Amino acid sequence: MKAKNQRLILALLGLAAVVGAGLLAVSGLKQEASFFYAPGDVAQSGLPLDRAVRLGGMVQEKSIRHDADGITIHFIVEDGKATVPVTFKGIVPDLFKEKSGVVAEGRFQPDGSFIATNLLAKHDERYMPPELAGKMHKTGSLKP
Amino acid sequence: MRVARPKSAQGLLEEIPFRKGGLSLKARPAMHAYANPARFLKLARPLTPVCLGLGLILILIGCYAGLVLTPKDYLQGDSVRILYIHVPAAWLGMGGWSALAIASIVQLVWRHPLAGVAARAIAVPGALFTAVCLVTGSIWGRPTWGTWWEWDGRMTSMLVLLFLYFAYIALANAGDDRTSVSRATAIFGIVGAVNIPIINRSVVWWNSLHQGPSITLRGSTIAPELLWPLGFTVFGFSFLFAAIVLMRMRANLAEAKREARLRRLAAA
Amino acid sequence: MTHWPFILAAYGLTGAVTLAVTVWSYLAMRRAEAALEQKDHVK
Repeated sequence: MKAKNQRLILALLGLAAVVGAGLLAVSGLKQEASFFYAPGDVAQSGLPLDRAVRLGGMVQEKSIRHDADGITIHFIVEDGKATVPVTFKGIVPDLFKEKSGVVAEGRFQPDGSFIATNLLAKHDERYMPPELAGKMHKTGSLKP
Repeated sequence: MRVARPKSAQGLLEEIPFRKGGLSLKARPAMHAYANPARFLKLARPLTPVCLGLGLILILIGCYAGLVLTPKDYLQGDSVRILYIHVPAAWLGMGGWSALAIASIVQLVWRHPLAGVAARAIAVPGALFTAVCLVTGSIWGRPTWGTWWEWDGRMTSMLVLLFLYFAYIALANAGDDRTSVSRATAIFGIVGAVNIPIINRSVVWWNSLHQGPSITLRGSTIAPELLWPLGFTVFGFSFLFAAIVLMRMRANLAEAKREARLRRLAAA
Repeated sequence: MTHWPFILAAYGLTGAVTLAVTVWSYLAMRRAEAALEQKDHVK
């Protein structure tokens, strides 16, 4: 066998081994590398009560309620599998809206609710001009 | 056993005077036709200004369109305009390492003398665009997500890419040969490529703050009114990247040639 | 929150560093190739 072909096979084997090892390590990180828990995750695996975590999902339509003090809000996070009621006191980001994504930082309560200390807005991969979005809202084709 | 073949551009350049008429380039496999720096330079000299000019023009058109002509996004408002520089920077940061890894394989397997020169020339602009991607993403995150930085999968893996570039540049500059890179450096270039699919899939495998991919094989979830300037900036920055790589390769080759000549003069 | 300071900061920074690395690479190439030319005449 020519030396060049030998080196090629060696390089390809090495590449396959490295990629395999990388993917194996990454798949092992599946849960640890997630940025937040979805409501469906905690419904399945139980509440992580012992530490501060993040809860992410969609803000349910018509679920935002404001308390009389003006800074406390209540809303429901959903992911299509389960829902979690969230309480937050503070300033919400501009993109915090109903039927839009949110990531709440805080703690789960034993009753299954979530008290947030900070809110991040998460938007999806769709970008469009306002007129188009308005039309889609009316026809119902823009689903969260 | 393997035939003695120059391991670097420097080695090849030293050999050129003796090769004229002797070993015919035509007799060598096609793959090595462009291994000759003289042939490469014949191609690179006219290509450099073309890439540079085309790149700058496309970037200017794309940025003007993205800042002035396109409408706002329905949810993000004007901040969506950062997309037009953030996406090309991300593409070049990741594409840069992919090209660097391919050059490393070519260097190790075929001993192509220009492969190391190319890989070295890619590293600095690749690191730069990775940094631009991280910084523009951070600036974009503040008004949209409400944070400058979070340790989510996409951002963390992109930061790892930047550190990989730093390590590669340090390794490349540690060797004696300032024009090419050592074999260990080339191996590092290949191993580091594992991070590229991880960055790409990070938003699919894991829950992340960063949104999923907008442009996939199935089409784009960016409305055409908002999408078109992105084509200009992606191609524009790619051409500029190519021009930067060509200029850095030419600088290295010229330096190697001069050093080789000085050494010959000293020996004579 | 007005977005324009963020947009201009992002574009300004990108433009500045891109231009800097382009000019640096160009000057390095010019200098190296000019030095090579000069040596040709010395012999």
